[in-house]
Amino acid sequence: MVTSVIRAKQLTAGYEKVTVFSDLNTTIKEGKITTIIGPNGCGKSTLLKTIGRILKQQSGNVFLQEQDMKTISTKEIAKQLALLSQNPEAPLQLKVEELISYGRFPHRKNVGTLSNKDIEVIEWAMDITKTTAFRDREIAQLSGGQRQKVWLAMALAQETSILLLDEPTTYLDLAHQLEVLKIVERLNKEHHCTIIMVLHDINHAARFSHEIIAMKDGEIITVGTPKEILEKGTLKQVFNIDARIMIDPDNGAPVCFGYDTFLEQELGEK
Amino acid sequence: MHKQRFMMKITAAILLIFIAMYIHITNGTFDMSIKDVITTLLRINPNDDFDLVIFQFRLPRIVIAALVGLGLGIAGTVIQGITRNGLADPGILGINAGAGTSIVVFMFLLQMQLVASGSSNWVSILIMPLFGFVGGLVAAIVIYSFSWRNGKLDTQRLILTGIAISSGFGALSMFISLKMRESDFEMATVWMTGSIYNANWIFIVAMLPWLLILIPIIYRKAYLLDYLQLEEASVKSLGIEIEKEKSILLLCSIGVISACVAVSGSISFIGLMAPHIARQLVGIQHRYVIPMSAAVGMLLVIFSDYIAKTVFAPAEIPVGIIVAILGVPYFLYLLVKSKA
Repeated sequence: MVTSVIRAKQLTAGYEKVTVFSDLNTTIKEGKITTIIGPNGCGKSTLLKTIGRILKQQSGNVFLQEQDMKTISTKEIAKQLALLSQNPEAPLQLKVEELISYGRFPHRKNVGTLSNKDIEVIEWAMDITKTTAFRDREIAQLSGGQRQKVWLAMALAQETSILLLDEPTTYLDLAHQLEVLKIVERLNKEHHCTIIMVLHDINHAARFSHEIIAMKDGEIITVGTPKEILEKGTLKQVFNIDARIMIDPDNGAPVCFGYDTFLEQELGEK
Repeated sequence: MHKQRFMMKITAAILLIFIAMYIHITNGTFDMSIKDVITTLLRINPNDDFDLVIFQFRLPRIVIAALVGLGLGIAGTVIQGITRNGLADPGILGINAGAGTSIVVFMFLLQMQLVASGSSNWVSILIMPLFGFVGGLVAAIVIYSFSWRNGKLDTQRLILTGIAISSGFGALSMFISLKMRESDFEMATVWMTGSIYNANWIFIVAMLPWLLILIPIIYRKAYLLDYLQLEEASVKSLGIEIEKEKSILLLCSIGVISACVAVSGSISFIGLMAPHIARQLVGIQHRYVIPMSAAVGMLLVIFSDYIAKTVFAPAEIPVGIIVAILGVPYFLYLLVKSKA
């Protein structure tokens, strides 16, 4: 049986006086890749941030391994859950390896020196993200794709079983997008990491996820496998597009290979 | 930055501090040789004239210059660190002004009474930093509550409110000092521009406990300032209680600043310049930047005070003015550089 690692119960969240979603319930399955998709402003990033306790909910609860996250210290949570935010920033003079070592914070007891275990995990994180080659460079000297991999390595150095990624492929070229997602896939397969991410590209979502949560206007429209979500009716309902779907013969994932908007038709009718 | 290179640089800085102290202590209205200074300090053939000059005038003044530079250098580093803004400075944030106003009020209301009632002056000097702390705290609470939005500290608002609060408190200080008796007014204005020429040992005793308690706390938390340079979501994700840690660091800095302001008035720009120079010397890791910034701050204040006492001798210029003359071009240089 698949158990839930994260469960949101009647979750309400937003910014200042704006409520982005209210009374939301959802369950994330252990050891799976779950992707949240939806149009701009639907609340997918807000949901991810609230689950990752970056944003404080206005009401409701998030349960981590069936324990209310409000009752767990933030450092304890950081040992189980890491979040890579959408626009991470670091001082430009910071060295790559130093930044990655920041990921060890929740595990470190004395602040002065890294333990052998810390160094081991940092090496592993650099190895899996292929960032070892530029470990001595400064952040300023890296390309966008390299930076994203370094940030991913920092999140991995946290050594958590749950990884939250907020649009990890934004601003990356095609090859780097795929590279990042393949690292994510490998983490899930080889290290049984539970992954929850927000993606804009529905084809990437379909290819790399076990489960997709489709959101619109602060509500979860539907949850299902890629084949269940990449379907004419659902895509019309969520994105308001007329999609053409086929199955990729290489990996069996559904692919949206072309689409039209309904907007023009609607305008024409009016 | 390697530890060895840091040790070399900090040793060089300390050496420079001693050289500055040496120049400061041997030069003045009458010059002394280093032999005179050493024999006086070691109590070999004590001489009343030398004793008076060294123990009553020059030494307390140098020690205060050093302590104020140290405190402002450290507080400036912390404030730039938690606001993630290289142009932030305790002066810009209004903490100086808040502490200053409170001390002007204190001078206005209490000190005259204490003097009148004949109780000795040192009681009032000892409680001056406490008053400064209250004023600094009030300023900080006002700034905090205006810049606290949506459960977090909004750094942009922090700086904007700081500037507003700073001029508000400045005006208030001016207003109160205008109501003072002439002699008090003169004392207050000189003190407000930042001066240490009426230094004495009681000032040092008054500020020392603040520095001795708060600076170790800041130094222990210095490593957190490195993490706080990441954007907020990443810091929180690492399991750092960002608001709590920022508040502790800010409160400690307010305490340090208040102690400095209480004895020297508002010396601005040290908290801005020292961290910048320190970062250029030792990189961005705060366990190195904080001690280096302390050393640079000491050097700057001792050097400026030396200029303040000698350039127009026998007339004295408040050290704060010298620091400002050095600081304004540096501030402009930083602005131009950050544009480029």
